Amino acid sequence: MTDIPPNKAQRALHLHRELDRVWADDPGLRGFFTSVNHGTIGLRFMATAFVFFAIGGVLAMLIRAQLATRKGAFLDSELYNQVFTMHGSIMMFLFAIPLLEGLALWLLPKILGARDMAFPRLSALGYFCYLFGGTTIVLSLVFGVAPDGGWFMYVPLSDKVHTPGVNADVWLLGVTFVEISAMAAAVEITVTILRCRAAHMPLTRMPLMAWYLLGTAAMMLIGFPPLILGSILLELQRAFDWPFFDVSRGGDPLLWQHLFWLFGHPEVYIIFLPAAGALSTIIPVLSRTTILGYGAIVAAILGLVFLSFGLWVHHMFTVGIPHMALAFFSAASALVAVPTAVQIFAWIGTMYGGQVQFRLPMLYIMGFFGTFVLGGLTGVMLAMVPFNWQAHDTAFVTAHLHYVLVGGFVFPMLAAVTWWMPMISGRWRISGLGETAFWLIFIGFHGTFLIMHLTGLLGMPRRVDAYPGNPEWEIPNLISSVFGMVQAMGFALFAFDMVMQWLFGRRSWRNPWHAPTLDWAMPLPAPSYNFASLPTPLHGDANAVLPLAKGQGLLPGAPRGHRETLVVDAASGRPDHVAVLARSTALPVWTAVAIGSFFGLMLAGLYWLAPLGIVATLVMVWRWGAIMGVERDLPPIDVAPGLNLPPHFHKRQTLAYTGCIAFLVADGTVFASLLFAVGFLSVIAPEWPAPGAGYRAVPMLFATAAALLSSAFVVYAARRAEGCRGAPDAAIWTRAGLCASVLALICMCGLAAGLDDPRRHSRDALRAALLGYAAVHGIVATMLALRADRDARTNRLGAERRGAIPAWRLFHQFWLTVTATGVGIVLAQEVL
Amino acid sequence: MAWMVRALAGPVLWATLFSGVYALHGLGCARGWQQQPVLWGDLHHMALWALWGAGLAGHVMLVRTMPCDQGIRRWLIVAGAWIGLVSSAFTLFPVTILSTCL
Repeated sequence: MTDIPPNKAQRALHLHRELDRVWADDPGLRGFFTSVNHGTIGLRFMATAFVFFAIGGVLAMLIRAQLATRKGAFLDSELYNQVFTMHGSIMMFLFAIPLLEGLALWLLPKILGARDMAFPRLSALGYFCYLFGGTTIVLSLVFGVAPDGGWFMYVPLSDKVHTPGVNADVWLLGVTFVEISAMAAAVEITVTILRCRAAHMPLTRMPLMAWYLLGTAAMMLIGFPPLILGSILLELQRAFDWPFFDVSRGGDPLLWQHLFWLFGHPEVYIIFLPAAGALSTIIPVLSRTTILGYGAIVAAILGLVFLSFGLWVHHMFTVGIPHMALAFFSAASALVAVPTAVQIFAWIGTMYGGQVQFRLPMLYIMGFFGTFVLGGLTGVMLAMVPFNWQAHDTAFVTAHLHYVLVGGFVFPMLAAVTWWMPMISGRWRISGLGETAFWLIFIGFHGTFLIMHLTGLLGMPRRVDAYPGNPEWEIPNLISSVFGMVQAMGFALFAFDMVMQWLFGRRSWRNPWHAPTLDWAMPLPAPSYNFASLPTPLHGDANAVLPLAKGQGLLPGAPRGHRETLVVDAASGRPDHVAVLARSTALPVWTAVAIGSFFGLMLAGLYWLAPLGIVATLVMVWRWGAIMGVERDLPPIDVAPGLNLPPHFHKRQTLAYTGCIAFLVADGTVFASLLFAVGFLSVIAPEWPAPGAGYRAVPMLFATAAALLSSAFVVYAARRAEGCRGAPDAAIWTRAGLCASVLALICMCGLAAGLDDPRRHSRDALRAALLGYAAVHGIVATMLALRADRDARTNRLGAERRGAIPAWRLFHQFWLTVTATGVGIVLAQEVL
Repeated sequence: MAWMVRALAGPVLWATLFSGVYALHGLGCARGWQQQPVLWGDLHHMALWALWGAGLAGHVMLVRTMPCDQGIRRWLIVAGAWIGLVSSAFTLFPVTILSTCL
């Protein structure tokens, strides 16, 4: 049934006041630390990303100043290395990814017809991890210990021998800290799109932006884990001398390159997809028509998401990989141009079939076409192995990547900012400033980077700070530097325009672009709760602004004083239950501080104190779970006449459960990456086979068998506990599961005691890493067992209330699977 | 969600096949399979051809057995199946002609 009757109309002002009391942030500085609202967090992400963009831009100007002449004396070599490394790292990790996260967090509930993201506290945690991690990385520049090995941190340049200072540690630990925000956002975006859409909005009729963000989130879940694993392995080598990348002890520097580019190339598409989503949203509206080829674009997204994971080796064409393998990746690199071209032609066709209005966002879109297409074409050139060998590591590649990233991300995102700015600020822009900024940026960009292709073809390598013997490079470099300054002026003017609009622009009227999507079905600026009542099929577009404001949609107001939003079936959009979301709390910021203490202690080299940071984090995580259950059954909630839905405490397939599955997909990719490392080093690395295993075989075998048996029993206990959750037996099974879980952990400690010294050979280090991975998950699963046991003993289980048991089951099954696989791998190594 | 799984089947099979062929290529080079003659070729090429051929057969099955769905869902299922087939055929065709470990 999709024809849900409307609720009775109410006074819009009354609803607004009622909702604002529940959804608004705390006032003042307290509000900064306690807000979990997606609107606030999303805007903060975007504002912070633009601050980091400005810092990265200043660094770019320093680079251009240094290279303007042959013997630039502006920066010495050591500082120049730090500057170009920080420029790349800031732009990729502290600007591009967080900006898209911020846009997604801010926008998604609005276009999907929800009141907030699925996990508001996770949004806030992600923001503070990003803020603290990013600030640490930037401050390292001030203290002269910034990373200096290039934004890809290649080994052996970044190992302890060649980078003895903390420069590389800042990158490895800082970026990993920041990546927590990326993983949090990926889980949030996935679950929100799948479960928090408007009632009866099927996946196949979602706005294209939601498809793009779903593709982005899926790629982030799979794409970031290899880099996270690589960073952990390299930090383990730097801190404890575990030789994953040391050739003399069975390691291989190419493993780092594989793990890095397994992330690095999909990263380009992770950045591009949300920008393309903005293009697919803006182009039809400013062309006064509908998008051409909705289905073809969704299929193209599907193709891009997969194919982008088959290209990573094209960054490694010159490292000595056999020709056949090069050909696989060369072909995939050429093929990926097809789905990209499908989208480009769909956008061009849309514009051709409509009447294009050259307003400011459309100017940036024209800038996108003129830039990204060129970057794509040079990308196809670089996908061809013979050309790649010639152009590798030259300024040609620098020019190509800037055409792709600025064309494919910056121009569309500037279009997006100007597009949604009236909704953010409630004000209309001051005419003329934006257009001037656009032309300065466009001319400055092409003046800087078009000629850089020639500089590269003339042979100028990347990452050099002076070129006294090559006068032929001087004129093109000088031209790049001059236009680089023009571009910087353009960005400064863009920022000035935004500030002026925010402060002095006239009030914007509703839906100023006459867009059809739900995000414009609300007053401007967007209120803290988005919709006074949630959209139904009757209220599915921007014209529904008045009925929704009067409470005629679903779940009108906040009569129970809770932050409530609708949860739907993932495929059909059928209303399933009502989620009660977290209110303002300081828990996320304290959790970020706890996580940061671990990274800080590691960075300071206080390795034996670092576990204190982990303990602090576990304590905070425990507190997160404390508010996730209730001690009594709650009545169903009136959503609409004749439609009552249970609160999420009474459901198994909650947002949290879907989130756990999404998290385990990412977690499983970390494990798969670790298995890739085992396979790669076993097959490719020199100095194998490893020296004979010297462990005490029989006790090890017993410990392994006991751990696995105990772990399998926990899975059984969790299933029984869930099966009899309403009966007193549940507490027996949760306690039995908890005890078995602890026993399995103890057995793993026994295993660890019997391992060979991980510093001896990469095989031993890999085994220790496998065991460490299993042990970390054992701790998490044991904590969940403890939480389930507490739930059983505090009346949080009932006929419908399951407490933490479903999550416990899920994590424990995962723990058992990875432990068994790890054991299988070790046995296979011994037998084969 | 069954239609979504079906639409993803082709690309997932490509990803699996691509990873499998790349892994088999590395393993064969490490074990010296290219120096072991089998029929008119060598063990390495035979193993790669067999895996690629089996994967392509799987793709063809996906393309030929379309579920009864309609509208954009059917379109996505068809598109997904063809994306998988074309990707596997194009990105892995080097196994047919190139030397393996040079």
